[in-house]
Amino acid sequence: MNTLDIALPQMVLLYVLCLLPWLLLWLIGLRLSRDIGISILRMSIQLLLVGIYLKMLFDLNNPWLNGLWILIMLLVADVSILRRAGLKVRYFALATFTAIASSILFSTAYLVILVIQPTHYYDARYIVPLAGMILGNCLQGNVIALERFYSSLRKNENEYTTFLMLGATRWEAVRPYFRDAIKAAINPTIASMATMGLVSLPGMMTGQILGGSEPWLAVKYQIAIMICIFTSTTIACIINLKLSLNIAFNPFDVLKNELIEKH
Amino acid sequence: MPPIIRFDQVSVIAHEKTILSDISFTLFSGEKAVLCGKSGSGKSSVLRTLLGLHPVTSGVVYFQEVPLTPASVQNIRSCTAYIGQEPVLGAESVRDALLLPFQFKAHREQQPTQQQLIDVLQRLQLPADILKQDSSRISGGEKQRIALARGLLLGKKVYLLDEVTSALDADSKQAVFDVFSDPELTVLSVAHDPEWLQRCAIIFELEAGRLTQVKRHEHP
Repeated sequence: MNTLDIALPQMVLLYVLCLLPWLLLWLIGLRLSRDIGISILRMSIQLLLVGIYLKMLFDLNNPWLNGLWILIMLLVADVSILRRAGLKVRYFALATFTAIASSILFSTAYLVILVIQPTHYYDARYIVPLAGMILGNCLQGNVIALERFYSSLRKNENEYTTFLMLGATRWEAVRPYFRDAIKAAINPTIASMATMGLVSLPGMMTGQILGGSEPWLAVKYQIAIMICIFTSTTIACIINLKLSLNIAFNPFDVLKNELIEKH
Repeated sequence: MPPIIRFDQVSVIAHEKTILSDISFTLFSGEKAVLCGKSGSGKSSVLRTLLGLHPVTSGVVYFQEVPLTPASVQNIRSCTAYIGQEPVLGAESVRDALLLPFQFKAHREQQPTQQQLIDVLQRLQLPADILKQDSSRISGGEKQRIALARGLLLGKKVYLLDEVTSALDADSKQAVFDVFSDPELTVLSVAHDPEWLQRCAIIFELEAGRLTQVKRHEHP
């Protein structure tokens, strides 16, 4: 069963649809033409490039090339996490990379090698989209974890110092903020698992069904991906915060404010 | 007897601003000292430096004759009680706030009994039913005394006090004075209150981060 193609004239028709929201926004007085134009253009060019790259990746299906693709995704995610969390990339890059690389590689390998078991474990058709999806969600979680942790530490600096003065070790003193940050990071995943299928049909499942899969198969893959996202987000956030604790404080347990960007 | 606290030509520069400059003084066990000076003269910074919260640029800070280093700072912090102008209780109820330090490994073995809690509150003129109150609903003066009670429960002998009588009425102030009349307790404080100054045998005058004068008077 093959999915119906969308031909060029129909693609044009699709872009025409954008005129409707643009017109509505214009009518209510929102002048967003520039932003909308840039966003649609960026989406189109970026996806076009990914399409070309994925086509090549799938045709060659070379384990090294697949590995390189994952490595590039990890590096981009690394920088993006730290920028969005407001931390200086130069200092935290290695810690964040270690955290996301180890958790993504672990959960993708677990899923592909133990669960799906394709003929070639490096098969681009499996590892590239799966690792990409897990990483995308893991990225969100890590941004929340780091941002929440360091902003609440700064906001509650007096409380943190009080804990230290009452004999707490650095780890004992940061633990309340650590727990809050991890909770905030994994809550969206837990909430989305709880409402999955009720509120919306998950993207990957929809894609697979459109691609011609049996709904039952699509459901199993959706469960697989959600469990892997949950696992890798939790592991990555905990490792990431833990490693960052060795970087963000001076030897006297005082937070190095200069490593955190001012918002 | 060796000194408890000794600053040896200590300077602190943070963000290219001189906070303390060439400070030297010695404090022996049981002595009560107060740091005076205009705001911004570096009084509180002396306390914070001793606790490792400001990096020392030059000179050495000694606590019990051991230099302040990352390895020794935990010992300094667990031997001293620091009470700031607006103490953070760090727990929902007053009881949890008093028991907070006993959650940490350093003090886990010293859990106080209910009676000990009540006794210490009484010493500071606080009613026993304050234990049940919400930390956010008690006054500044009560917070300071709760923070002081925490130090007493931990059996601390060295007190670093920053304007600790500023929010107290006459009765509770007297209770605090009574606590510190104990000759075993060493006090290094920051204060403006003339009554407090009277009770301190040593007065360090600070000006723009420098120690300009040391006055000693016989304790009343």
